[in-house]
Amino acid sequence: MYSYFYDAFLQDRKYERDLALLETRLTDLGIMGKITRLALFRDSLEVIRDEIDEGAQTLVAVGDDKTFRQAIEAVGDTRTVLGYLPVGNKSVLADLLGVPTGVAACDILSARLVQDIDVGEVNGRRFLHALQCEASDAVVSFEDAYTTTIAGKASLEIRNLAFPDDAGVTDPTDGKLTLIVRQSQFSLFGSKAHVSKLPFKRAHLFTDRHVNMFIDGGEKIQAREFEIRVIPSRLRLVTGKERKF
Amino acid sequence: MSKNGGAETIVAKGVKVEGDFMVEGSIIIEGEVRGTISATGDLHVGQEAKVEADIKADNAVIAGEVSGNLKITGKADLLPSSKFSGDLAAAVLAIGAGAQVNGTVRMGAEEPAKPARGKRPNAVPEPEEETE
Repeated sequence: MYSYFYDAFLQDRKYERDLALLETRLTDLGIMGKITRLALFRDSLEVIRDEIDEGAQTLVAVGDDKTFRQAIEAVGDTRTVLGYLPVGNKSVLADLLGVPTGVAACDILSARLVQDIDVGEVNGRRFLHALQCEASDAVVSFEDAYTTTIAGKASLEIRNLAFPDDAGVTDPTDGKLTLIVRQSQFSLFGSKAHVSKLPFKRAHLFTDRHVNMFIDGGEKIQAREFEIRVIPSRLRLVTGKERKF
Repeated sequence: MSKNGGAETIVAKGVKVEGDFMVEGSIIIEGEVRGTISATGDLHVGQEAKVEADIKADNAVIAGEVSGNLKITGKADLLPSSKFSGDLAAAVLAIGAGAQVNGTVRMGAEEPAKPARGKRPNAVPEPEEETE
């Protein structure tokens, strides 16, 4: 049984046509199901969890990355399959999962290529993509076995799923997260980037002051200490063939 | 090496690692490491790297400074810029002209434990005599 939940921002009339096209295509493909509309003054997590409790086997987030992150949070430890129909703002997560925008996303959903994906957790909050923080003075302790310290200014990123770049490909099915430390060295001849890459399963990041940690490029949490771990194969996601892993 | 041809673990310049560093796959060190390194793949120590650790890896290419015991199951390649002090054991060893090596070097594949004196290796136990 497919259960769709529409984000509150889709109530805007400018999305009417997009939604109508999606619904027509879903009906054509025979995968139309119950639609639940999230609203500003309703607890989104509670609404989505109610759908799971009522037996939704495939939950489909219709909206942007924020909507999809709410769904990840709501799905929690259940084995409910999660799909995504991106509408509205540009979606980083949809690109990573190989889900196109518009009607074509319905075909990906219909193909139902389900993959078990790792999910990261920071201070009890889950993330799919990555964490970012600017804390050069941070000490990171890995698996209680070794620690890293950084000399100079650096940006820290903890990745589960990311676009391939100078730090390589991140595999969200390997049961690990990766700490990426980026530092720039300036000289007369220009700047040179130094990239460190440290895979881990569990880490403890701490600093002397409160720092911001951005979750999946959006929401931020502020703390001095962060407990970070990977929960292997926790999410069951519908992905497309163009996925970036 | 990983699918994209790069190492799974990289310690770049400006990063210091201390402790028991267990690495799945290959590792490139351009920064500093202190403690122990145990890698299931290859090790590459860059020219500006400083390593004070006991190391176990499959193959090693060393261009920087390493002090500690180095146990390599395959080939250890000490480039001309390298400075090594400690005990080195490797199946195959290449030392570039100019490389500094201080310590003991043991080469060749690891030998199996020697049998006890007086016993033939792979001796087939004699069958017990049957008595009627």
